[in-house]
Amino acid sequence: MVTIIDRTLTTLNTARIDSQAIRHFCELLFIGGVTRIELPTSLAVRLKLSGLSGNTDAGESCFLVQKQNGRQQLLPNDLIEQNFSGHALPDIARRKIRLTGMADLLQGDYATIFEQLLCSDADALDLCPSNRQYCATAIALEWLFAGGHSVSGTFAGHANFACLEEVLMGVKLKNPTAFTGDLSVFRPLRIYYEQLSGLPVSPTKAVIGTDIFKVESGIHVDGVLKNPATYEPFSPETVGNQRKIVLGKHSGLQSVRYKLREQQLSEASEKSILELIKERCSQLGRTLSDLELYALAREVKNDDQAKIYC
Amino acid sequence: MTIKQKYIVDTTLRDGEQSPGIAFTLNQKVAIASALDSMGVSRIEAGTPAMGKAECQAFEQIKRTCRRARIIAWNRMNREDINRSLSCGADIIHVCVPSSDLLIREKLRLSRAALIEKMAVCADLVHSAGKELTIGLEDASRADRDFVVLLTQSAIKLGATTLRISDTVGIMSPSTIKACLNQIPTGIAIEIHTHNDLGMAVANTISALRSGAKYADVTLFGIGERAGNCNLEHLLIATQGQLDFGIRLDELQLRQSVLSAQFRPPSRSSRHPIGLL
Repeated sequence: MVTIIDRTLTTLNTARIDSQAIRHFCELLFIGGVTRIELPTSLAVRLKLSGLSGNTDAGESCFLVQKQNGRQQLLPNDLIEQNFSGHALPDIARRKIRLTGMADLLQGDYATIFEQLLCSDADALDLCPSNRQYCATAIALEWLFAGGHSVSGTFAGHANFACLEEVLMGVKLKNPTAFTGDLSVFRPLRIYYEQLSGLPVSPTKAVIGTDIFKVESGIHVDGVLKNPATYEPFSPETVGNQRKIVLGKHSGLQSVRYKLREQQLSEASEKSILELIKERCSQLGRTLSDLELYALAREVKNDDQAKIYC
Repeated sequence: MTIKQKYIVDTTLRDGEQSPGIAFTLNQKVAIASALDSMGVSRIEAGTPAMGKAECQAFEQIKRTCRRARIIAWNRMNREDINRSLSCGADIIHVCVPSSDLLIREKLRLSRAALIEKMAVCADLVHSAGKELTIGLEDASRADRDFVVLLTQSAIKLGATTLRISDTVGIMSPSTIKACLNQIPTGIAIEIHTHNDLGMAVANTISALRSGAKYADVTLFGIGERAGNCNLEHLLIATQGQLDFGIRLDELQLRQSVLSAQFRPPSRSSRHPIGLL
């Protein structure tokens, strides 16, 4: 069992955020498979979370954990943070350490570094890689796949850490039967995150973007209609999303046929409709809405009738 | 430390444009290709001529505009697609070969043996026109490794100059890419094509380049199907001082800022600029 720490709340200004929203955000993270939530101690006090009473050594942040009976409890954060360049191996024996930085770790022989870290005799070793070089998720996952026990990150990669949702999905895909989290909570988590941070998530953001299951190209639509697994790494439902076939410049006959049936329109002029769709989308520089398809299908039908009766 | 020379294959105009909501006009395609050519991109995958007349016109104009980059036409495994590509003057004819049993069975509804026969027919067609052939193994990440080796041997025998290894659904990790590439026979240049479904497109591309791949497939702003492809800017940032693609990061950033308006479909509000997060 690996430890997956979410530290999103330590990177946000939570002073003005409603306590109920934060509590719900935490509940959803636990359902999604996060095993520890790191939060500022001041926030834990405000949320009246139990577990730290009497512990005068509680530092700036603490961990919220969920026990098997579903009850939540606070634990002190006893990890010592240490920046790691990826070169000189730090002395971490018999200490509880969180290594940060190492943005360019994959540029070198990271497998050997991981082996050395695993043999370092640390009491606890958490990796919290920086995403400055767009490789944080890969570093976190490779660490876990190599035998590491703990990684930290943030939802949507907030504050340039590894994206928690990508790490969780990577762990699930690696070993689907052992993973117990329910990733369909990513949809409400994304909405909460946008509220808490005030930042919109890109529609094409890996795992949680709203548009990642939209399909337009004829080749992919053809495959997805035959078997969605052909062009989807995981089903949309797994992450609380849904598939949507859209019409555009790259559509093929299969897509047009599918959309005409969906809109209960005649398939008789599908070839002429496809030509018109491609032409219009090239001019507009975008896809067509269902309403626009309806109008276009009527247009083609009227043209065809005019040809017959004139 | 020696800086290794590698090469960029930009597929903004093919796989990038397949991103739902993005449709470039002819002028936009030519402007993007021209910018890529000036920056030093070695190969530009300019589209799929089989899509129709407009795509072929764009191809012809791109071919006339680009001075240094070699222009790739993307094809499915069929005569019609390849004939179209041959007629619009592409330098390189790329044939996409689905390699996982899932795609061969569910999409093509072929046997492995029939797939290899089709590959040979396509290669003959390309060679008889005197063009360079490159072969792409679609969904190589989910393919049987022994079959990938067999397909690679066939590609070498058929005279393909480059083999594209595609992580079509973006599920590989740096270590699985390394293991895959280590198994591939030598005798053909390797090109890596990654997707960002798990946020690892850049990391996986770096791993492939470190494991011997010569070409890296990228797109501007990382556009592409689902969560996109390997983002050229991010790849350059991550490999500064380690790999040389013959492209200057500051020049790319400048040109991207000029081109960015063409990458933002009107349906998306300005609150969601491409590349955010």
